[in-house]
Amino acid sequence: MKKLRLRPLLVWTFLSGFAALFLLRDAGGSGLLGFGAKIQVFPALLRWEITILLFAGMTLLAGRFFCSLLCPLGLFQEAVHGLGKRRMAGYRRGTSLRYWILAATVISMAAGTLGLLHLLDPFANFGRGVTQILRPTIVAINNLLASIPLPGGTSRFLHALPSAPLAPPVAAAAGFFLAALAAWSVLRGRPYCDGLCPVGTFLGLFSSHSVLKIRFDESSCSNCGRCEVACPTACLSALERKIDHDRCVLCLSCIEACPGSALRLGVLPGKEGLQRRTFIKAAAGLGTALGLAFIRRNAKPLGASGTAEATDPPISPPGSRSHENFSRKCIACSACVKACPAGIIRPALMAWGASGLFQPRLDYDFGYCQFECNSCTTVCPTGAIEPLSLKAKQRVQIGRAQFHRNACIVVKNGTACGACAEHCPTQAAHMVPYRDGLTIPKVDPSVCIGCGACHFACPASPKAMTVRGLPTHGTAKSVTAPGDGPVLDPLEEFPF
Amino acid sequence: MNRREFLKKSLALAVGTSALLLPGKTGRALGAVVSGPADLAAVRGGEPEEMFDRGIAAMGGMKRFVSKGQTVVVKPNMAWDVRPELGANTNPALVERIVRRCIEAGASKVYVFDHTCDLWKRSYITSGIEEAARRAGATVVPADQVRYYQKAPIAGARILKETLVHELVLQSDVFINVPVLKNHGGAGLTISMKNLMGIVWDRGEFHSRGLHQCIADLSLLRKPDLNVVDAYRVMTKSGPRGTSERDITIRKAQVLSTDIVAADAAAAKIFGTEPNSVEYIRQGEALKAGTMDLNRLKVERIAL
Repeated sequence: MKKLRLRPLLVWTFLSGFAALFLLRDAGGSGLLGFGAKIQVFPALLRWEITILLFAGMTLLAGRFFCSLLCPLGLFQEAVHGLGKRRMAGYRRGTSLRYWILAATVISMAAGTLGLLHLLDPFANFGRGVTQILRPTIVAINNLLASIPLPGGTSRFLHALPSAPLAPPVAAAAGFFLAALAAWSVLRGRPYCDGLCPVGTFLGLFSSHSVLKIRFDESSCSNCGRCEVACPTACLSALERKIDHDRCVLCLSCIEACPGSALRLGVLPGKEGLQRRTFIKAAAGLGTALGLAFIRRNAKPLGASGTAEATDPPISPPGSRSHENFSRKCIACSACVKACPAGIIRPALMAWGASGLFQPRLDYDFGYCQFECNSCTTVCPTGAIEPLSLKAKQRVQIGRAQFHRNACIVVKNGTACGACAEHCPTQAAHMVPYRDGLTIPKVDPSVCIGCGACHFACPASPKAMTVRGLPTHGTAKSVTAPGDGPVLDPLEEFPF
Repeated sequence: MNRREFLKKSLALAVGTSALLLPGKTGRALGAVVSGPADLAAVRGGEPEEMFDRGIAAMGGMKRFVSKGQTVVVKPNMAWDVRPELGANTNPALVERIVRRCIEAGASKVYVFDHTCDLWKRSYITSGIEEAARRAGATVVPADQVRYYQKAPIAGARILKETLVHELVLQSDVFINVPVLKNHGGAGLTISMKNLMGIVWDRGEFHSRGLHQCIADLSLLRKPDLNVVDAYRVMTKSGPRGTSERDITIRKAQVLSTDIVAADAAAAKIFGTEPNSVEYIRQGEALKAGTMDLNRLKVERIAL
């Protein structure tokens, strides 16, 4: 019983880490959790294409350990499976569906859309699950507890949290996905890794003949079959004494299940390990990946530039540079959604068109982009949102305020307002004389950064201030100068 | 005159009388001018903390306002996620001193909050007020959710006949209003009366129903027992948020008053604006929330 009892602890620890990544506001930058996000396969690939070689090389050496250790959705399935009976129905041959899925993903990416990847990427699915299901649940429980007053009236044990940035259709989709996967995992182990995941299938191209793998020692096997019912990817046949290494994720459940020592993780001798076939298969995979990276680098994303001009363009986060760059790299994982303290970055169903499914955008009905904040630019694992210093971010124009004169309170009611100018951090929205001593807003586009403070603050309905997203972000004129200082003019005499 | 007011006034009188028996300087330091406490004290030329100490002494001392065991709400302006040098929020050192004096006067609990414009937690931190108030012993509480507000009627209001008001303002014994004097794009100036927009939940209502009248109406809800206007760093343009330190003029002044309209009138004059030209100040007087005629009040002018 000394063998591997630490595995469940490890699974839950890593899973909690990944959940924390999508729960803790500041996680995801340079810390350990951020590292966990950056080493995900598609994020890394989109950020820096050459990392594909690293994944290929690692998998060639040590198999699909990524899936059992570093993929949050893989950990999720294993954790859920562990809560059930943990008995599988035995070996199943791998289906070819997974190859078609991988091919479709690759082709769609090359064609300039990440839509399919948004649906299938395990990291993105996990991220949406946490931000759209787990976080709102935690907030709801917290706020229920926070509504219980302590004796004495005004002080409460817990502070009520603001509601989580929930997008109902996206939450429904994420909830359905996780619930279905959980139900499936209880019975069938890691069905996603085994049969659907494009990341897993891709790594499988390299793992079938990896150097480090699990193998049978026939002499000490007693044909008990425990390893087979323990294998969560159903890739082990005790009868045939074989393991499909392209589907094996090295979770080591079989070794744990073996009453003897018939299964061992080890480095295979050269002949058995690296064969010509291995290299051919791996080279094919690598070629595809690099080709894909090259095409993607030069392809224009579908829908991002063409269609958006006509209607109301969405607003992409600061640091995303342009709608094109954003759509080319965003996998809709919701890391930025989680990071936004104002809760205005929200996944959208179709705002970016069909090819931008679940891709987030800024929604100023819920708040506005805070002037003193650059959180979203620090957490993006794919580079869809590039890091910006606070100073740089304060001048990035992500949209432009539009003043609708006839909707303005000052015009409609003839009373003072100025809520927009009040909230504007750059005085792009400022008040100019109107009539009867009233003032009315005016927008100076050269300093407008499109933060949406004016939109959110506008009390009129419909809003007299709205923001139009800029397909290519600009740079605003600076409102501060290096030598800026206060005027020194102390009160010398009381004016009354 | 209710019982509390009677007690307060007799106490003030007692302090005043006893101060008469002391040598002049000590007597003034204790807060009693020969003819009793001032209605309005204007102070200039010092740091915010010392100006407050001198001003509150002229107003009859903190004990005039806070008695042992009472709960106090101190309502600064900390609406913005902006650092203190930019003058968008009340001076943190002033808030700290006020809280400390309340506790020294025997307050059982001093609450500090504001219904912020920018995100509440960031504004509380960046303004420096949360930390400063805590240091002095205050309980800094959130005001970001509607659950902290209760519907309250406003007797005598013209438009804003009821609104959701932070529960602490309704429940606490003493209410001290600590605005910062600023230019304001919409309202012209923001001082004491405008600062009360941070105790209500629905500010949009003010803007859509008539900003000035609603501000004036709100000043009838619960008249602050004391208003302390921070006019040390004065934002003279681009208000109320400001964009850079260029917008700031160091005025080194402070106004204390029990009369919210008078406090705003005096502060407007320090700003260089005729109180008459600010609509809500005029309407505040019309509603009898106070007077902008400073000649009708006992005004103490203190130069440091």
